[in-house]
Amino acid sequence: MPAELRLMIPTNEPVESDDRLLVEQIRGGDEGAFEQLVRRKTSKVYALCYRVIGNAEDAKDVSQLVFLKLWENLDKYDPSYAFDTWLYRLVTNVGIDFLRNRKSRENAVNSNLRLVKTSTDAEQTVSVQRKEIELVFQQVASTLSPKQKTVFVMAEMEDLRSSEIAKILGCRESTVRNHLFNARKLMQQQLKLRFPEYAKLWKEAR
Amino acid sequence: MISCQTFRNTLQPGTTDPSVLEHLRACEACLDFAIERDPDLFFRAMGGQELLPPGGVDSFVEEVMTQVRSRQTETAAQPQRIGNVWQRFAVAATLAAGITGAAFVAQHDRAVSSMASASYARPTHRTSKPVALVTKPIIESYESQNYTIVEVPSDASSDTKVVMIFDDQLPADL
Repeated sequence: MPAELRLMIPTNEPVESDDRLLVEQIRGGDEGAFEQLVRRKTSKVYALCYRVIGNAEDAKDVSQLVFLKLWENLDKYDPSYAFDTWLYRLVTNVGIDFLRNRKSRENAVNSNLRLVKTSTDAEQTVSVQRKEIELVFQQVASTLSPKQKTVFVMAEMEDLRSSEIAKILGCRESTVRNHLFNARKLMQQQLKLRFPEYAKLWKEAR
Repeated sequence: MISCQTFRNTLQPGTTDPSVLEHLRACEACLDFAIERDPDLFFRAMGGQELLPPGGVDSFVEEVMTQVRSRQTETAAQPQRIGNVWQRFAVAATLAAGITGAAFVAQHDRAVSSMASASYARPTHRTSKPVALVTKPIIESYESQNYTIVEVPSDASSDTKVVMIFDDQLPADL
C-alpha cells in the first residue's frame, strides 16, 4: 500500500457531509456517485495539477490518474478525516512523481515560453497582465524543486494554511514554512534574473 | 465581491483576507495597484479563478469513467484469469507427471530388456563361435570344459598367429 494512503493525520475540520455521503455510496458500488464526485472535484484537482505541472495536457493526464487512484484506493479512505485533505495528498503525490520524471518534457515546455516583456530603461511603470503572470510563473517556478513548487502553489494560489499543507504532505509545519521561504527566495532571484522589469516591483516597494 | 474602493482601502501587505484575495484575482483594474502596494501579491493574483481541463468537464469526466469501467472489467476478468492459470498449471503438472512416468517405464523396460539380452546372449555367443571366425580359416582349435582356444592365421606374411581364447571364467576386462 502506498505510504501516502497509510499515513493520515487526524483533523478536527468538519468533513463535507456531501463528500462523505458520496464516498459511502461509491463504496456500496454506486458508479453514478463516483461520477458525481469526479465532476465536483475536477476543477479543484485540475487547477492544482495545472499550477504544479504547468502544462494543460499533462495536468489533464495527471488529474485523470488522480481520479483513477482515488477509485482504486477509496476503501482506504477513513471518513473521520477531511476528504479534501486526502484528495490533495493524492494530487500532490501523483503531481510530484510526475514532475520528478519529467525533466526533458519540462525543458520542452520552457522552451516554448517566451519572455513576456523586454525591459527597457525608459519604462518607469510596470503594467501587469494576469496572463503574463501565468507565463512568468511557469518559467520562474521551473527552478523550484517539486515539493517547493507544490507548497508554493498550495500556499499562494490555493490559500491553504501551513497546517493544512503539512497535513497534506505528511510533514511538519516548520518544514512547510521552510519550503515556502526558500521557494519565495528562489522565485525572486529568478524573477530578477529573467524578468528584471517585474523584479523592480520589489525594489520599488522596499 | 467587495468593491474596488473597499479593496483599495482595506488592502494590507501580506493580507490573507479571502474577500481581498477574491477581488485581487478577479479585478484587472486593481491588479497593478495591489502589486505596487505588495509585490508578494504578484503570484497570489493567479489563484482563485476556475481552471477547467482542455475539452471541458463533461469530456474529462467521461474519459475518467471510461478508464474506471475498463479497470473494472480487468478486475472482473482477474479471477477467471487466475482460474486459467490454475488450469494451465494442472495441465502442465499432468503432462510433466505423464512424461516422467513414461520415461521411468521406458528406462525400466530398457533395463529389463538389456538384462534379458545379456542373459540370452551367452548361449547365442557359444553357438555362433565358429560363425564369428569363418572369415579366417581355423588353424587349430582346443576346447575344454570352461574355455575354447582358437588359432587363426594373421594377414601378414610373418608367422605371427592370432590366438583367441573364449573363457567363461576370465573377467570381462581382461
